[in-house]
Amino acid sequence: MIKLFERRTRIAMDRAKKKKGPFIYKSYSKKPKHRWVKKRKAAERRFRRAGFIAIAISSLFLASLVWNIVSSGRSAFTEAQISLQIEFQADLVEQGAYRKIVQNSLIALFPEVEDRKEKRALFGLVSRNAPHMLKKLIEENPALVSTKKDIWIPAASTVSVFYKQRLKEQSKRGGKITASHAAWITQLARSDRMQLKFNMAFFKNGDSREAEQAGVLASSIGSFMTILICIAMAFPLGVATAIYLEEFARKSWFTDFIEININNLAAVPSIIFGLLGLSIYLNLFGLPRSSSLVGGMVLALLILPVIVIATRNALQAVPPSIRYAAAALGATPTQVVFHHTLIYALPGIMTGVILSIARAFGETAPLLMIGMVAFVADVPKTFVDPATTLPVQVYLWASNPELGFVEKTAAAIMVLLIFMVLINLLAIYIRRRFEIKW
Amino acid sequence: MVKNMSAQKKISKTESQSDIRMKTQDLSAFYNNDQALFDVNLDIHTNKVTALIGPSGCGKSTFIRCLNRMNDYVENCRVTGKVRLDGFNIYKDKVDVILLRQKIGMVFQKPNPFPKSIYENVAYGPKIHHLVENKDELDALVEKTLKRVGLWDEVADRLSAPGTSLSGGQQQRLCIARAIATKPEVVLMDEPCSALDPIATARIEELIAELREKFTIVIITHSMQQAERVSDHTAFFHLGHVVESGDTEKIFNNPEHQRTKDYIGGKFG
Repeated sequence: MIKLFERRTRIAMDRAKKKKGPFIYKSYSKKPKHRWVKKRKAAERRFRRAGFIAIAISSLFLASLVWNIVSSGRSAFTEAQISLQIEFQADLVEQGAYRKIVQNSLIALFPEVEDRKEKRALFGLVSRNAPHMLKKLIEENPALVSTKKDIWIPAASTVSVFYKQRLKEQSKRGGKITASHAAWITQLARSDRMQLKFNMAFFKNGDSREAEQAGVLASSIGSFMTILICIAMAFPLGVATAIYLEEFARKSWFTDFIEININNLAAVPSIIFGLLGLSIYLNLFGLPRSSSLVGGMVLALLILPVIVIATRNALQAVPPSIRYAAAALGATPTQVVFHHTLIYALPGIMTGVILSIARAFGETAPLLMIGMVAFVADVPKTFVDPATTLPVQVYLWASNPELGFVEKTAAAIMVLLIFMVLINLLAIYIRRRFEIKW
Repeated sequence: MVKNMSAQKKISKTESQSDIRMKTQDLSAFYNNDQALFDVNLDIHTNKVTALIGPSGCGKSTFIRCLNRMNDYVENCRVTGKVRLDGFNIYKDKVDVILLRQKIGMVFQKPNPFPKSIYENVAYGPKIHHLVENKDELDALVEKTLKRVGLWDEVADRLSAPGTSLSGGQQQRLCIARAIATKPEVVLMDEPCSALDPIATARIEELIAELREKFTIVIITHSMQQAERVSDHTAFFHLGHVVESGDTEKIFNNPEHQRTKDYIGGKFG
């Protein structure tokens, strides 16, 4: 193709020379090697290169973000556990002194520790939750009383972090840990009494003051309940609004006014919606604070304009000829919408709705305003129970100074990102599967 | 006055029993303040094909859309005058547009089947008008209709395939099937062949000739040859006026007006 152009150019130049007519390329180049073609090619190349560089830079950012999160969060999925020989002494079980049982077995492990202060440090090796664990064990299996058993008990988060880092880096630094702790850990590790195990607690528990016990279950469930409320409110409202504006309302200054307002609402900072929720849902209606119900309703306000806009676009994408065809058959305007336009627009609507739900899923600021930032250890059972969501959980953990929470934060972000990716994949699937090409 | 009106009604009644199915009286149409049709008086004969010819923008499409009130959907379009179907003015306030459109089917310029199955495309009209009692009747009606447009042999084994998967000519025949499935009296066709190749066009023309026995057909066309081939009556539109109307043979062979002669002769348009 290019060669053909070059030949043509040459022919044109030759002809122009012979005729001594005006040589049009002369004004562009001194050399007859038609510089404008080269220039054009260079511009093409330049643009392509610029695009490639832009993509490379953004991929780099993305890769470094993911790498950063994964590298610091990966370790949260394992935890150090200590194998203790627990003796369930009948009298202690009866008194409910499970703490004493744990302490006894630790002392049995390190009989040389005598100093009171040192002893307290020794007890700090295991999770503060250990007595509860034992209690649960006995409740499930009363036959254990008066027996001895080796049980894996989660280590304290500082110990866990230290152990993991030492494994990784083969050095003794890392973590705020005392020399005696370090010595004990070495001893335990050498005798195989300390091992890394999969951290089930992270997926089974709610929030906790102890990093080794903190998990994402409560916040994940809270997130899903919030989103459920959000969809239940925003989807019908938004779609109905869009259908009315697009298919039924006559164009007037009033509909223009509404349209401008909806477009503006989509750009309002999310925290404003949080304040709105605070003043209307909580103060005016008196709905329960920090519940997933109110959270969902606030997020619904947030994504409502986005859903309206997405739905209108999807409806506009249905060609008018289809509407005319249905109307000419004698379908009423409502039938035209519900038998045809809406059905054909549905894939587009679903895509828009799912993407706006992904946005709601990651929203934090408005939820802080309505008290969803509360410490929630239990999985919410109803929509009015105190709940928190994943991004708020990330926010809470990120502001926690304790060392064990650093990796928890990153791990929670990973869980959040995985949900996000799943939601987006669903949107892509729906678009690919049901899209109608006109 | 009252007597006069009732007398008029009587006249139109008798007319309906004869061979005039639709009749427009002083029909004018306006877009905002631009008049697109000027006092059009035209008769459309029962079981005949009436062709509307004329250059682009002469009001043919506006006129045909007046006949089934599709102009209701065009914003700022105003219609005055009367359109009578079997003597009954369809622009009266009390007229149910839905029933009217069951009686008057329409086929559009570009094939526009619903992106549903072929079966659904045909079955949709009868369904919303409750023309059938049960599934068997509906099946029979769909089959009969598809056979009538000559599509049955081509699609019998893939009735559940989307209507949009057919070729252009097949799509247009499907649209015709969709339009006649509601058992209309009149079928309006707005340049049904302009998006089709000659073979598909010939197929549609054959179809029109067959359908004439059952339906009254109004067809807009830009092809003189097509108008001559398929129609019994022809009306020539120019700048919103009906310049001349009458038997096709007469219009094409012995037009009264110079403008008609020029247009048919290809001097303008």
